[in-house]
Amino acid sequence: MIKLTIDGKKVAAEEGGTILDAANQAGIRIPTLCSHESLRPAGACRVCTVEIATNGAKSLTTACDYPVEAGLKVSTTSEKVMEARRLAVELLLAQRPHSSKLQELARKLGVKQPRFVLAEQECILCQLCVRTCQEIVDVEAITFVAQGKDRGVAEPTVVHSLDKCIGCDACAYVCPTESITVTDIGDTRTINTPSGKLEFKLKQCQVCGKYWAPEKQLDYIIEKWHLEPELFATCPDCRD
Amino acid sequence: MEKFAVYVPKLITKKENFAPGHRACIGCGEALAVRLACKALGDDVIITNATGCIEIISSQLPYTSWRLPWMHTLFENTAAVASGIEAGLKAMTRKGRGLAVEAKVVAMAGDGGTSDIGLQALSGALERGHDFLFLCFDNEAYMNTGIQRSSATPYGASTTTSPAGKVSIGQFAWKKNVPAIVVAHNAPYVATACPSYPFDLMDKVKKGLETNGPAYVHILSVCPTGWRCLPELSVRIGRLAVETGIFPLYEVESGRYKLSFDFPKLRPIDDYLKSQGRFKHLSPDEIKKIQTRVTEEYQKLKEIAARS
Repeated sequence: MIKLTIDGKKVAAEEGGTILDAANQAGIRIPTLCSHESLRPAGACRVCTVEIATNGAKSLTTACDYPVEAGLKVSTTSEKVMEARRLAVELLLAQRPHSSKLQELARKLGVKQPRFVLAEQECILCQLCVRTCQEIVDVEAITFVAQGKDRGVAEPTVVHSLDKCIGCDACAYVCPTESITVTDIGDTRTINTPSGKLEFKLKQCQVCGKYWAPEKQLDYIIEKWHLEPELFATCPDCRD
Repeated sequence: MEKFAVYVPKLITKKENFAPGHRACIGCGEALAVRLACKALGDDVIITNATGCIEIISSQLPYTSWRLPWMHTLFENTAAVASGIEAGLKAMTRKGRGLAVEAKVVAMAGDGGTSDIGLQALSGALERGHDFLFLCFDNEAYMNTGIQRSSATPYGASTTTSPAGKVSIGQFAWKKNVPAIVVAHNAPYVATACPSYPFDLMDKVKKGLETNGPAYVHILSVCPTGWRCLPELSVRIGRLAVETGIFPLYEVESGRYKLSFDFPKLRPIDDYLKSQGRFKHLSPDEIKKIQTRVTEEYQKLKEIAARS
């Protein structure tokens, strides 16, 4: 166990854990947006900013990806921290002012109308969908474009690749700003993404006739786990 | 909401605030519903829990299944106690002595504690507009005391106080529509859910928790012991209840009805009734009567949803 101090409170944390984990365990709440317990941290949204002091030198960092160190002094509520968090949320809110999750975050942090030009954008680049697709679904259908050297040329954005996407909708579930949505109408599933619409054919249950899952997703599962295709001829409700 | 089937479960929190090792019967739909609800509620809630199955199975001295601040209340005053806690939190915050975290108040009760004994306290709390979430876990009878009928017991069900026999068909009255009673109080959020649709349930609990003002979620909880059904069919019977239309899932946001699942064609009610021993005495005529009523009610609900 590693001993550190968070907001003046002595806290014991597990080695390899982050400041966010340690704070949560000690009952100290740090607001987050792009952090998810099942995914690797990205430090993209900067909402979980905290102030750390090592050997007297103070600096701001993100709690979600900063590993705990012995003797670390963390402040989660200093004026500098709150200012940084408010600015981060203000910038995000200016990008997507109608997001209820961002509005709630803003309310909690006391951010009112953003001072910046409101520009309704499709995506705030939190990377949750990208990480979900890579780490949970193991498909890597969603990628970033215009990062690194291309940054000055094009707007950075996330792109769904129709070739790789299996239509599973995990990205829509994890998206905090409802930028990715899924609708099933008749035998077609449509995934609306910032980079365009993707359409998938749904499989019909042989017994009840319900359209219950994208064919491409079932094919992927059958291939990956070497299953019998007959298993998916019926929907879960009609299976014995 | 129920499309999320294969990968999304991996994204649900692994933290169990309703700890395993409780004494629910095998196949208990209510314990499953509470577990899912607790995942959606998170850490910053205070729970008041009426007497009932959940209280009995989760808090046998010296053990507890609750990893959250939890309080057992009487059958009749769950909503009243929740109101008091909410008012207390508000007053303490105003005086600058509030909690370090923004805590929400959640009341939990069974169908007896909601539709019979706790109804007036619930009505009062709704009318006063307290900011709290009321979860009703409806297993359609007083199960922990030995399957006595409640006003939530469906028509035709045999219970120990409405036994089926030569002169009786079991429960003689139709199930009380508590969600409609709550809607009549102008509550900002009302929903029905079932643990057989886990993502839908978690989504509704979360929505209810985030609602400013009173919210109510009515959760159908299959009870293999009281419904005389196989414990391994618990989840499937919940799905059948929704697919046959006897327990439709819907949300009412500021008076506007929205069906969560709309089936082009409902399954025959027989599919649902024949899976449970409490309905096994029903004659074809009675089943037809139930079918007519269910179809009628579902049609009515669809019309209201289409209008709003």
